[in-house]
Amino acid sequence: MSDIWPLIPAAIYLLFFFMLVMIALVTLSVTEGDLFPTFEPLQAILKNTEFYDALINTLIFVIIGTPLELIAGLFAALLVYNSFWGKTFIRSVFVIPFAFPGLVIATLLFILFDSQGGFANHLLQGQYSFFPKVIDHDVAWRGNKFLALSVSMLGKVWRDMPISMLIILSGLNSIEPELIDAAKTMGAGFRARLTKIILPLVFPAMTTVLLLRSVEMWKEFIFPYILAGNYPLLGTLIEKLYGFGSEPGEAAVVALILVGLTVLTLILIVEITGRIKRELVNSGVNS
Amino acid sequence: MGYIDKGEVAKKIVWTSCVIVMMVGIIAPIYLLLKYAISDPSTVNTGGRPIPIWPNRPTFDMFLYLFKDREFWAVVANSAIIAVSTVALTSFLSVPAGYVLARYNFPLKRFFLILLISVRLFPDISSVIPIATFFVRMNLHSSYLSVVLAHTLLALPYVIFMATTAFEFVPKDIEEQARVIGANRVTIFTKILVPMVFPSLVAGAIYTFLLSWDEFIFAHFLLDTGGQIQTLTLYLNKNLSFSPPQNILAAISVCLSVPVMIFTFIVQRYMVSGVVSGAVK
Repeated sequence: MSDIWPLIPAAIYLLFFFMLVMIALVTLSVTEGDLFPTFEPLQAILKNTEFYDALINTLIFVIIGTPLELIAGLFAALLVYNSFWGKTFIRSVFVIPFAFPGLVIATLLFILFDSQGGFANHLLQGQYSFFPKVIDHDVAWRGNKFLALSVSMLGKVWRDMPISMLIILSGLNSIEPELIDAAKTMGAGFRARLTKIILPLVFPAMTTVLLLRSVEMWKEFIFPYILAGNYPLLGTLIEKLYGFGSEPGEAAVVALILVGLTVLTLILIVEITGRIKRELVNSGVNS
Repeated sequence: MGYIDKGEVAKKIVWTSCVIVMMVGIIAPIYLLLKYAISDPSTVNTGGRPIPIWPNRPTFDMFLYLFKDREFWAVVANSAIIAVSTVALTSFLSVPAGYVLARYNFPLKRFFLILLISVRLFPDISSVIPIATFFVRMNLHSSYLSVVLAHTLLALPYVIFMATTAFEFVPKDIEEQARVIGANRVTIFTKILVPMVFPSLVAGAIYTFLLSWDEFIFAHFLLDTGGQIQTLTLYLNKNLSFSPPQNILAAISVCLSVPVMIFTFIVQRYMVSGVVSGAVK
């Protein structure tokens, strides 16, 4: 036991803050001014239509954004993995988005998707010779729920694609080339190799991406905060309730709900991917 | 044979076009950010005419304007002070912890690892509420210390993990030989082990610095409460709400990104040398 004392400061630090967060979050969520314990914050949240909006918006964000990040990462990883030239160079370029702070990318999209005469509007109105005309008038990107959340998601997926790509790439790189060569020799085409060998073998990496990305999507804050101010997600609603609304109790209730939903999603993904994995193994045994 | 070649050519064409589309999708936004940062007013406000792809008159005026502004430098200094302090505290806590995790098995190890993962995956937008409330009660909000403590909490799990992996690469024999010669544990740790895992520790330190430099949520909740201290991310956000000219927003964004890009480049080199040194031993 005397050997592990160097661990103690870090352990105390983490344990202290973790306990603080858990206890204070629960305590705050049942406190309203001097009233304790009370369900007033919870009741206020359940009556708040903005909460249901935020819940549905965030759910859509998670359901569409998580697979989108997986697909973007998988696509980029397959391009790098199958590269004919400049593998290192292409990979370095594909990693670039991650080198930018989320706030910077959100600011850039704020500039580009300006509602009056922004670059996106000019581009889509066909003002440049290299791009076809798609719209007739300026679009108010931040004044429409669907558009504002789409632009937020675009920024999020663009910025985080490299993480998904690197995780999947490490999975791909662990596949022995002999396996793929053997399949080629036996006459398997690209599609067969992809669906029968590559995808099953990178499945664990894809599961990791889904787990990490779904957490990220639930708690997303910076892109919707900058780009979709009028259309809250749970993250931005927490900020609004705590700061602007001065309702720490209600903010804590939403924060707890967010934690609960995140954990639930993780369990769900582990369960579903476990089932798919069993199916894959079984189908492999049977064929 | 000819048929196979055709297939190969088609494959290469598809692959090359996909790579080009991805590259354009990645590089174009970054180009536009840089372009806006060096744009003159006539390029930004075109009065309905298409925004030029290259500035009418490229200029560094926006940067000069920022660099002459005292508030800007104060904000940069704040970000740097907070980031460097976070690195110091995180390293102090994580390096010994990583060593213990790599070397010893003990009853509560599993519990500690679960704690690490829980802290790492806990939504920051949820944990910020109790932590901000706590610092307000301790009268520590709007202080450097509160942000440094919070950023350390965010960085710690991953950096401990990095340090653990690094120490696992160092063979136990080296320590035992040093002990035979008569070195004590502190000497072994500081003179032998730390230099051997130095590249990984640098990578961890840079990760921590960047995390703190880019961080917005905790800084916003802890500092944007009427205090005097502002970080660079808060400064950018404040400017966004004033809707100033777009070129100044882009210039601040570039300033915020520069350390990140430099450090990402350095980390890549260190990571490579770390991997190589691990392989040699």
